[in-house]
Amino acid sequence: MSEDTRVPPGNVLRYSFPERLVHWLAGFSYVYLMLTGLAFWSPWLFWLAFALGGGTISRELHSWVGLIFVVAVLLMFRMWHRQMHETAVDKEWWDAIPHYIRNEDEYVPTVGRFNGGQKLLFWGFLWCGLFLLLSGLILWFPNWVPWNLRYLRYIAVIVHPSLALITIGLFIIHVYMGLAMERGALISMTRGYVTIAFAKRYHGLWYNRVADDPSAKNETP
Amino acid sequence: MTNGWIDIKNTDMMLIMGGNPAENHPCGFKWAIEAKRNRNAKMIVVDPRFTRTAATADQFLQIRAGADIAFLGGMIHYAIENNRIARDYLVNYTNASFIIKEGFKLPEDGLYSGFDPATKTYDQSTWNYEGSGGGSGNSSGTKLGTQVTSPVPLPANVTHDPTLQNPRCVFQLLRQQYSRYTPEVVERITGIPRDQFLKAADLFTSIRKDGDMKKAATIIYAVGWTQHTFGTQIIRAAAIIQLLMGNVGRAGGGVNALRGHSNIQGATDMGGIFDNLPGYLKVPKPVDADLAAYLKRITTTSSKPTEWQSFNYWSNTPKFVVSFLKSLYGDTATKENDFAFDYLPKVDRNYSWTQIWDSMYRGTVKGMFAFGMNGVMIGPNTHKNIDALKKADWLVVGEIYPDETSEFWKAPGTTTDEMKNIKTTVYRLPCAGFAEKDGSMTNSARWLQWKNAAVPPPGDARLDQDILAQIFLAVRDLYKKEGGKFPDPVLNLTWAYTDPLHPSLSDVAREINGKTLVDLTDDTLKQTIKAGQQLPGFAWLKDDGTTSCGNWIYSGSWTEAGSQMARRGTEDPSGMGVYPNWGWSWPANRRVLYNRASCDVDGKPWDPTRRQVWWSEAAQKWVGNDVPDFKLDSHPKDHMGPFIMNPEGVGRIFGPLAAFADGPFPEHYEPIESPIENPLHPMQSNNPVVKKFTTAADKYGTPADGFTIVCTTYRLTEQYHYWTKNNPMNVQLIPEPFIEIPVELANDLGIEGSEVIKVTSARGTYIAKAFVTKRIKPMTIDGKKVYQIGLPIHQGFRGIKEDEERNARTPANFLTPTVVDPNAFTPESKGFLVKVEKA
Amino acid sequence: MSSAGFEIRAISGHAGPVPGAGLKREFEVCKLIDTTTCIGCKACEVACLEWNGYSFSETKFDNSYQTMPETSWNYWNLIKFNEHEDPDHGLMLLMRKDQCMHCEEPGCLAACPADNAIVQYVNGIVDFQQEHCIGCGYCISGCPFNIPKFSPDARKVFKCTLCVDRVSEGLEPACIKACPTGCLHFGTKPEMKELAETRAEQLREHSGFANAGVYDPAGISGTHVIYVLHDASNPENYGGLPSNPRIPWTVQLWKHPLKWIGNLAIVGGLLGLVVHYLRFGPKTLEEDKQKKPGAGQ
Repeated sequence: MSEDTRVPPGNVLRYSFPERLVHWLAGFSYVYLMLTGLAFWSPWLFWLAFALGGGTISRELHSWVGLIFVVAVLLMFRMWHRQMHETAVDKEWWDAIPHYIRNEDEYVPTVGRFNGGQKLLFWGFLWCGLFLLLSGLILWFPNWVPWNLRYLRYIAVIVHPSLALITIGLFIIHVYMGLAMERGALISMTRGYVTIAFAKRYHGLWYNRVADDPSAKNETP
Repeated sequence: MTNGWIDIKNTDMMLIMGGNPAENHPCGFKWAIEAKRNRNAKMIVVDPRFTRTAATADQFLQIRAGADIAFLGGMIHYAIENNRIARDYLVNYTNASFIIKEGFKLPEDGLYSGFDPATKTYDQSTWNYEGSGGGSGNSSGTKLGTQVTSPVPLPANVTHDPTLQNPRCVFQLLRQQYSRYTPEVVERITGIPRDQFLKAADLFTSIRKDGDMKKAATIIYAVGWTQHTFGTQIIRAAAIIQLLMGNVGRAGGGVNALRGHSNIQGATDMGGIFDNLPGYLKVPKPVDADLAAYLKRITTTSSKPTEWQSFNYWSNTPKFVVSFLKSLYGDTATKENDFAFDYLPKVDRNYSWTQIWDSMYRGTVKGMFAFGMNGVMIGPNTHKNIDALKKADWLVVGEIYPDETSEFWKAPGTTTDEMKNIKTTVYRLPCAGFAEKDGSMTNSARWLQWKNAAVPPPGDARLDQDILAQIFLAVRDLYKKEGGKFPDPVLNLTWAYTDPLHPSLSDVAREINGKTLVDLTDDTLKQTIKAGQQLPGFAWLKDDGTTSCGNWIYSGSWTEAGSQMARRGTEDPSGMGVYPNWGWSWPANRRVLYNRASCDVDGKPWDPTRRQVWWSEAAQKWVGNDVPDFKLDSHPKDHMGPFIMNPEGVGRIFGPLAAFADGPFPEHYEPIESPIENPLHPMQSNNPVVKKFTTAADKYGTPADGFTIVCTTYRLTEQYHYWTKNNPMNVQLIPEPFIEIPVELANDLGIEGSEVIKVTSARGTYIAKAFVTKRIKPMTIDGKKVYQIGLPIHQGFRGIKEDEERNARTPANFLTPTVVDPNAFTPESKGFLVKVEKA
Repeated sequence: MSSAGFEIRAISGHAGPVPGAGLKREFEVCKLIDTTTCIGCKACEVACLEWNGYSFSETKFDNSYQTMPETSWNYWNLIKFNEHEDPDHGLMLLMRKDQCMHCEEPGCLAACPADNAIVQYVNGIVDFQQEHCIGCGYCISGCPFNIPKFSPDARKVFKCTLCVDRVSEGLEPACIKACPTGCLHFGTKPEMKELAETRAEQLREHSGFANAGVYDPAGISGTHVIYVLHDASNPENYGGLPSNPRIPWTVQLWKHPLKWIGNLAIVGGLLGLVVHYLRFGPKTLEEDKQKKPGAGQ
């Protein structure tokens, strides 16, 4: 995996090419879903649908892109789920979250490949994604739901936007973290590598493991 | 109809039986709804199935198909025993008080007096009034085919008993006749529980509670009554009830036949029956050696109590006949040659519908013109009719669609080899549809309404009259060239249409109305009409050859003022729905027949709020909102009877002499195929004068053969006869044939709704999906559990779905028996036996 | 289907003013269906098809006289047939013409996200504007009567327009015109309400239907199609007419509290992040000491 990416000196490979590809597949599809979803969410944002090619196209593509997004989420699940189990250090990390928020990172324990917040993001998108898919399918084909099963539709009507709101929350924090807070995070997801300092600081346990054995598979948290 | 569609809105009580107007006459049914909404009228529906009519009824009774006379007889019994009768009406306007001859016997054993088992006919001479003197022609109604003509006339002076106490008076005989029709007997025969029957009888007769005469009840029926081997007698029973309760001639009353086609009334009026000429003139028979003999036979003379008067309108018969002959043969018809009476065919036997097909089956009829009907589909025992056509030399079908008749050789079950052996030459002539033709249509209410063509016929399709004209002219040319045995009737037939090849229907309508051939003056009206002018009405007709008229009852429909049928006046001064200026109603634009009977003996309306006609002392004549159906200047004290078409002048509770082939009163007989023996007289279960057909194709089933389920046929509101299966819209509404069966029967046989099932009679098999419904319940008939099923008639082997072989392709009439009513010769399609199986 | 030239009082998925929103309502139209005089002849079904230009579609016999199980995108008017055993009246064949009820508070309009796809005119007619419909089908979920139907070909939703194109020309809807028994009436809401109540009273007093009444459900503030029922206490018997129709509570929840909670959460969250950034700035790796980063960074 790591052979795919040339890692400059002083850096360490964090995300392989397939990981980055899947991430951005999920990312771009999610952005589209969020924008079109927001267009349907509020009349004040319905202009988004026009901006994206019109209401009918937005409605049609929202469904299909939703499938793409779910596929991406499932691929992420396949790639990362073993690394996403919560560990003891994650608990310490969560205990130290006020320090993390206040950028008092010295009080924040160093963690494995993913910190608690990233794991929350992962599981949040996974479960929300699955239930968005289910409710989305009902909303996609409302005419296929017989009248005596109409409660499925009613559930979908409330479940879909509620979960979407949760993912929007996760998404905003994720983007904020990646773009604004953790410098280097964006590079890690575009070029694949992070500085050793970055690796040591935020994911020391993981860095120690890969530093010892660069070929070690990212199979554990 | 004695009354009319709109008049139903004036009623207080409806008995709808043998008909399903909500489904088959939805537009007319609006007036029944109006009566319910505006007058709180009650509606009783009696039917083998809970129909869409029943859905709007106040009471529904499920009757076994074919048990109608038992029900109505029970109703007569109830009305008499509970004194729910119109006594003054009964005494003065009916023959209730007339004394019947000694020797007349009621059918307690199933037979009236005079039955001859060898010929299965009655000597009807005892079915007569007591009295003195006698005229001719009074054996009115003599039916051809029953081979009985009574030489005995009605007495000119009838003995009567206005107290109705004489045990031989009609009223006492009626009472005795129906004393057997107790609620218990009604229940045994009809399957209607006693309490339900009593509730309905009480409700219906409640309009005559305490002798009140203000309210009126109507009886509405259709082919559910006529299609029995005692169909005419069912209608008789209804007429008796209405006379007994004083409902005939009254707004909101009457006996009202709902006709199944837009113009079936017109077909009847114009002599579309083998034993009638236009205007209900009887056809000449071989015994009628000359015009005088014919007129003597068919012209009635009055027969009434001495102190009463009878208008006896049929005494004008010679005027109608001679004017008719003049319209047919014009100048050729002269006094010297009996107005060409010899040209008229003398009908020697029964040529009714089933007889024609029977004759074709037997090989004596070699060809057929089938216009305006799908012969294979409409008649009973379709297999027999298809086999008959296979034996014919040629068949000409004029239709708007390729129909089952023109493709009889493709009927299901016909193999390719069999098809090769069919030698019948079929000519198919594309005809114009109703919207492509102008002309008049006569509705159930006897209204003639003129219509215009909406669009021209498509493609090669032609108007019926054009086809007939061209055939006639070609035949006439052949006679001209080649002569023949008797060319005169053809060569001398008038054909004075503007365009002989394309006779316009307005020309024909003017001819039917008639014209005067000389200047005529009417002294009472002080009116003169010039030679060649249209007649104002049938009162102007003459028997000396100076008038010409194609159909006396239609005289007045196209006068010098133009087509009265095209009138569209919406004025209704009385508010009773008379609409005197809309279209034209025969006779004489009269909307309610016998309307003199809407008044008491003194000429005052029974109900002052529904004034139809009345005697004006000031004008010394009858006046009113409707055209009085009466001699205008006949003072009430003269006691002229209101039923002016009867020689008695009064309504016939007792049908004397040969009026009916099977008895002066209706008697309950079982259908030819019945699950039980007649509880009234098991030894005489069926109508004694009914004769079964005898070809190999005429098979009749019995319960012993496993045919235990009563089956009836019907129509749906979504489809029209056999046409609309060609129309996508109708096919969408009812896409497939089905068979309605009770839930309990379905459970017994393990049949699910929409599962394909098979109904088999002695004659054939019908396949369709099961419609498992709560709307037909199992019945207890004479102690036996009896199931009843029903199937719509519309689908066959030609149509949108049939052509794609996506529907079962069996016509309903594969099942029905060829056996007919002895008076009207209508086949018994309502009530025959079948078995039901999974397909 | 049409912009009828009527003033509009409510628009789906719309931000900004609605022209007829505060307008005094001169009259509201109403269709009255008297189920007690319906004979199930289906003339209304055919009239609806013909007026709206829809043609033959395939149907299948399903143990009923009913043309199809429910209305469809190109079949807006359907009589529902129900064989009902009534304890007091025995067997009844209840026939109810099903179509859009033109609710005063239309669930379809509430649920619709597409600007202008559903409008409600001041006269009460609820009309779909297919040119603005995005085919999302939320209206299907919003409707308590199972009326809007999705066309898989057009990818849009259709329903009865109350013949707004006829009504705007002063004509009655096509179904009314075709009804042979007069069980259908059309007029203003007060007129129809009075006619209906009079008929219900007649049924109670003269026909023994003690529970006869008018169906004009309050849960959606009434409808512009009202029924006279033999038994107004059991509308479900008439082919599933809901006894207390409401806009589904999840749609209400979604369109009201959830919407505001969500909007607040999104806007609040974004603001919070801005404040966070301004207060704490980005995380730094180089100066990885006890010192906190300055506010200005």
